[in-house]
Amino acid sequence: MTHQGIETARPLTRLALAALGLAASLVLVACGDSGGLSESGSDDVSTAEAEGEASGTLTISNWPFYIDKQTVPDFEEETGLTVDYTEDVNDNNEFFGKVQPQLENGEAGGRDIMVVTDWMAKKMYDLGYLQNLDQDAIEPAKENLVGSLESPQFDPEREFSMPWQAGMTGLVVNTAEAPDVTSINDLFDPQYKGKVEMLTEMRDTVPLVMKADGVDPADASTEDWMAAIDKIGEAAESGQIRKFTGNDYTRDLANGDVVAVIGWSGDAVQLQADNPDIQFVMPDEGCMIWGDNMVIPVGAPNPTAAYEWMNYVYDPENQAQIADYNYYLTPVAGTQEILEEQGSDAAESDLVFPDEEFTADCSTQTDPPGDEEDIQEVEQAFQDVLTGA
Amino acid sequence: MRDTVRNRLVPYFLMGPGLIWLILFFVIPLGYMGELSLRSGTLGNFVFDWNFGNYTDSLSRFDSQFLRTFIYAGTATLLALLISYPLAYAIAFRGGRWKNALLLAVVVPFFTTYLIRTIAWQTILGDSGFVVDTLKTLSLLGDDGRLLATPTAVIAGLTYNFLPFMILPIYASLERIDVRLIEAAKDLYSSSRQAFWRVTFPISAPGVVAGTLLTFIPAAGDYVNAFYLGSTNQAMIGNRIQALYLSERDYPTAAALSFTMMVAILIAVFIYIRFAGSEALMGEEDER
Repeated sequence: MTHQGIETARPLTRLALAALGLAASLVLVACGDSGGLSESGSDDVSTAEAEGEASGTLTISNWPFYIDKQTVPDFEEETGLTVDYTEDVNDNNEFFGKVQPQLENGEAGGRDIMVVTDWMAKKMYDLGYLQNLDQDAIEPAKENLVGSLESPQFDPEREFSMPWQAGMTGLVVNTAEAPDVTSINDLFDPQYKGKVEMLTEMRDTVPLVMKADGVDPADASTEDWMAAIDKIGEAAESGQIRKFTGNDYTRDLANGDVVAVIGWSGDAVQLQADNPDIQFVMPDEGCMIWGDNMVIPVGAPNPTAAYEWMNYVYDPENQAQIADYNYYLTPVAGTQEILEEQGSDAAESDLVFPDEEFTADCSTQTDPPGDEEDIQEVEQAFQDVLTGA
Repeated sequence: MRDTVRNRLVPYFLMGPGLIWLILFFVIPLGYMGELSLRSGTLGNFVFDWNFGNYTDSLSRFDSQFLRTFIYAGTATLLALLISYPLAYAIAFRGGRWKNALLLAVVVPFFTTYLIRTIAWQTILGDSGFVVDTLKTLSLLGDDGRLLATPTAVIAGLTYNFLPFMILPIYASLERIDVRLIEAAKDLYSSSRQAFWRVTFPISAPGVVAGTLLTFIPAAGDYVNAFYLGSTNQAMIGNRIQALYLSERDYPTAAALSFTMMVAILIAVFIYIRFAGSEALMGEEDER
C-alpha cells in the first residue's frame, strides 16, 4: 500500500520524468555561465616575478629523451632545490588537451616550467595561459642565448619563452634494413609497406611530404596542405604507413617493427647506443627546423626556482652535459668550445652544430595559413587521417 | 490522512541519498556535456547556439568507426564467451579443491595495470616476436604478414582485457547449480548434451547475460587497445573522441559523439536484453 506512489507510476511517466530532469539540468547549466572556455586576451598577461632566493620544489614537464641523467641531480646539489622532473609531453596537441582545462582556470597543475614547441607556445600565450618572464631574473641566461634564436617570429622579444633545444625533423632510418631511403618519397615505396611510420605532429609530417612534392611550406596554401594530407591519408589507408606516433616511434624502430620513420634528429643518436645501424638521414629535399621552449604557465607555484633552472641550463658548462646526451641544436653560445675541450663527439656532429650546407634546404616550422578556423579545418583533416575516417 | 501522506513520502525520502548522488555525479555532468554538445565555434570561443549539427556530423563523419567499434566489441565479446564458458564450467564442476586456486589464477594477472598488460601485447605480437614467427612457420601468416596494427591484434587485446568480467559472473551462476537437478535430468533419460542445454545452460543464462554486458559495454568504449595494438584503420569511437578532445580541441563535436555513442550502446543493450536476456534475467531464476 505505502509504495503505491512509486509502483503505479507508469513506465511512460517515469521516462517523461527522467527526460524532464535531464532537460532541467541542461537549462540550469545553460543559464549559469558554465563557459569555462571564455575568450581571454593577451593584453593582460602578468609577469612571473622572481622573489628572493629560490627554495622548495621545482616542477618541470618535458619531453622524453631530452635530458641526461646527471643534470637534475647536479642542479639539486648546487641549489638545494628539489626537482620534480616529469617526461609527460609526447605530442604538443595531446599535452595541450591534458592541461588546457587546468590552465583555463588559472591553475598550472603544480608545473613551474613546461616545454612546448614554438607554435604551441604562441597558442598558449594567445589564450592567456602563460606568464611573461621576469627579464631581470633571467639576465644571465639571456647573455648566453645564441643570436639566431634571439628574436623568433612567434616571440620577437623573447618575452615569454626561452629555448630549451631546437632540432630537425627528417628521416630516422635503420640503414641495414632500408639503405636506400634518402627522401620522404621513399617512405611511399611499396617495398617498405607496413614498415614506415610518420609523426602525429602535423606541423612536422605534412610540410615534409609537401617539400618532397616540391612545395615550399613557407608559402603553401591551404590546398597544398590538404593535398599533402590526402597523399598521407591514402598511404595510411592502404597500409603503407603502419601508424602515426609521437616519441614512441623509437620503440618500434628499436625492436625492428619498422625500418624508416619521420623522426627527430636527437632521437636517432640515442637509438644508436643500442643499434648502430639507426641513423638520422637528412632528406634530399631538406628537413623541418623547430624549437622547443621553456615557458611558465599561469598559476606556476615557484617561478623563482624556474629562473634558477633557466640560468643553470644556460651556463655553457651545464649545457654541454645536456647537449652531449641529447644531440639537439643547442641554444647556448659557447657550448661547442666546451664540448671540444672535453673531446666529445657532439662537438663535431652535424646534428648539434650543423653547418649551413647541411641545413640549406630546411624550412622553419609554421602553422597552416589562414585564421583559427582555417587552421582547425586542416587540423581536422589530418586527425581524420590519423583515425582512419 | 496525514499518515497516508507521510507514508507516501517515506520511500522517496529513503531514496534521497541515492538520488542526490545520481543527480550530482551523473545527471549534472550529463547536463554539462549536453550543453557543450550544442555549442559551436573554436576553442576559447565556444558559443551555445543549439547547434544540433554536431549530432548529424558525428554520425555522418564517423560512421565507419561506429561500425568498426560494434564489430570489434561484438567479436571480442563472443570470443570471450567461447573461452570463458568452458573455463568457468571446468572450474565450477571439475575444480574440486583447486577451485579457489584456479579462480585466483584467473584474477591475479589482472592486478597488473591495464596499460602495462596492453603494452605487453605489443611485445608478444611484435613482428619479430615468437607468435608471428610461429604463425609464419605454420604458413598461417604470409611472409610479410604482421599482427600488430591489424584488427586481429585489437580484437585479441579487447578479448583478453575483459575476460575476467565474463568468467566471474558465469562462474558464479554455474557454481550455484544444484547438481541434483542434472542427475534428475539424466534419471529421466536425457543425454548429457540434453541435460546441458535444457538444465545447466538455462540456469547459468543470467551469468552469461551479465558477462556479455560487462564485456561488451566497456569494450565498445575502449580506446587503449586500438591505440597501442591497432593503427589508423583500426581506430574505434573512443580514439575518435580522444582525438576530438585532445588534438582537434573540438569539444562540442566530441561531446555530441559521446552522446551518440551512449545512445547507440543503450539501444544495442536494450535489444539484446529484450530478445536474449529478459527471461534469463528475470524468469528462470525465481523458480529455483
